Amino acid sequence: MREHNYDVVLIGSGAGGGAVAKELAPLAADGKRIAVLEWGPKLADDAFTGQEVDMARQLYFDSGGVLTKDRTLTMAYGKAYGGSTVVYTGTSLTMPEDVVKRWDVPGIEYADLQQRSAKYLEENNVHKLEESELNDNNRLFRDGCAKLDYHVQQFPINVKGCLSSSLCNLGCPNGAKQGTHRVQLPAAEAAGVEVITNCRVTRVGEASCEAVVTEEGFGLPSAWEPGEYRVTAKVIVVCGGAVNSSALLLRSGFGDRLPTLGRFLTLHPALILVGEHPHEISNFHGHPKSFYCDEFWESEKFLLETCMYFPFVTSKNLIGFGAEHSELMRAFPRLQMILVLAIDPALESNRVVVDRDGEAVIDYTMGSSVLDSLHRSMVASAKVFFAAGAQRIHAPAGVSFFIDRKDADRVEEMIPRSNVIPGKISVASAHIMGGCRMGRDASDSVTDSWGRVHGSPGLYVGDSGLFPRASEINPYVTVMALADRVAEHIRSNAGELLQS
Amino acid sequence: MRVMKSLSDTHAAFFMVVAETITPEVASLDADGRARMTAIVDTALQDRDATTRKQIGTFLTVIRLAPVLRFGRAFDRLDGDRRNAVLRWLENCPISLLRSGFWGLKVLVFMGYYGQPENRQIVGYAPDFDGRAGVRHA
Repeated sequence: MREHNYDVVLIGSGAGGGAVAKELAPLAADGKRIAVLEWGPKLADDAFTGQEVDMARQLYFDSGGVLTKDRTLTMAYGKAYGGSTVVYTGTSLTMPEDVVKRWDVPGIEYADLQQRSAKYLEENNVHKLEESELNDNNRLFRDGCAKLDYHVQQFPINVKGCLSSSLCNLGCPNGAKQGTHRVQLPAAEAAGVEVITNCRVTRVGEASCEAVVTEEGFGLPSAWEPGEYRVTAKVIVVCGGAVNSSALLLRSGFGDRLPTLGRFLTLHPALILVGEHPHEISNFHGHPKSFYCDEFWESEKFLLETCMYFPFVTSKNLIGFGAEHSELMRAFPRLQMILVLAIDPALESNRVVVDRDGEAVIDYTMGSSVLDSLHRSMVASAKVFFAAGAQRIHAPAGVSFFIDRKDADRVEEMIPRSNVIPGKISVASAHIMGGCRMGRDASDSVTDSWGRVHGSPGLYVGDSGLFPRASEINPYVTVMALADRVAEHIRSNAGELLQS
Repeated sequence: MRVMKSLSDTHAAFFMVVAETITPEVASLDADGRARMTAIVDTALQDRDATTRKQIGTFLTVIRLAPVLRFGRAFDRLDGDRRNAVLRWLENCPISLLRSGFWGLKVLVFMGYYGQPENRQIVGYAPDFDGRAGVRHA
């Protein structure tokens, strides 16, 4: 086993790891040795082909289909230089004050998070698209919501030089999305931070970790030769995402003294509905996600968002099969899509565990409140589609494959709650939060409000695992804001933490 | 040489029979299209653990033989309507394991068919790295 020694090691390079890397870069410029160990590969710019199956395989864990233990929900999270920021749509929201209050973490104040979030909105070139850049899929959603008097807002997004490929979730082929792979990591590397790709950390301690570097068959070669490594560091920041950070710490034995480790996982369970218009609309050209509706955010615990997916992902999100399914797929250029997100409660029983081999297992059950939210969100989406002019729609819990416009006044009965059946309808998550929650002490949480693991002064968590509850919005900006706090704490205490 | 590394030849052949019911266009695929579909599904299964691969094989056997109880014939000897009925029953099955198993199988079929770039034109999907000209307003 080969050895490397660093002052600081970051495990993961997504929104959290990338932000910490850039914020600690001045230490590297001052001579401190800092490394980022990233499980996934770094792809060359011309490797972003937009080919659905290939890109999913190269950029996501399990091609974006990580299954929960009960097999009723899949999760999509990135495995790449830049983590999930390579494959998100770049929607950039600051967490509302009400949610910060609900989090109730001593030391976490709304004003502080807002200030840090604003810094990343600036750094990532976040702005709203011009009207001329919005495609029909997005405009129809906005107009449909407006007709129903539903509150709708435009997403700010983090793009620079967007060419409207609509391929965001397969990694932007034009390098326009300002994820950590485009902004924070290159800046950190320029200052001397090393990034080691294809490097899976298998165990972590308070001053060292073990890692394996592999050759994946795609992507650029890792900076390290394939093999096993022991890496020592004075400070270690675990930023592998909610699932992998929890699993790594559990596998490494931290669960014995941190009873909440892995628990209180929230996922924003989501599903897709489709509306078919009588004529072609612009949908697969243009940014896929420009608007969201928060009309039911407080009252029924769900959000509606615009979305546009690719043929395979679309096909698997439709209920049913056979001739009707094929008929709807062939209407692709006429399809409007809506993604619904349920705001799920943070339950101790929903958690990451590890199996006998140390692999992550996501033990998550969609409770009745989540299924209620998904049901109500389907009804609301159906109304939006019809208000926007759709001739028929497909709802996963519909009593029939299609609901025709003539039945638009009957959507409540056409989409019964009893048809919201886990394992039948396709439910997915791309917002995985919790498992290493912040809080007061080891009895209620894994870290303090600075991301420092209780009882381990040199060990931090810096990703969405820190969330004590759901963010109730798209979470990446909040991840970066919390990671910014982690970096600040390390910098402020560098004299003590990084002394020889 | 086996058709798929992840499934026996018997299971691989039966997978395509089920696939033709789930996505009727599969029946019209030429040899290249079927080979591409097989390769996509095989790669996806090889990326999964051995337990999952075994479960898929077992589930295919269940689909093939379960209709004997109701229709007196194996799945591959049923007409189209009865094949549809069998799969519809699985999709709505009160047993969660069978329901989610069918969902997983369906996903593999869709991946194998709609995941082929060559089939994009059939659904009218024509992405462009520079899609600005396509952001027109109906």
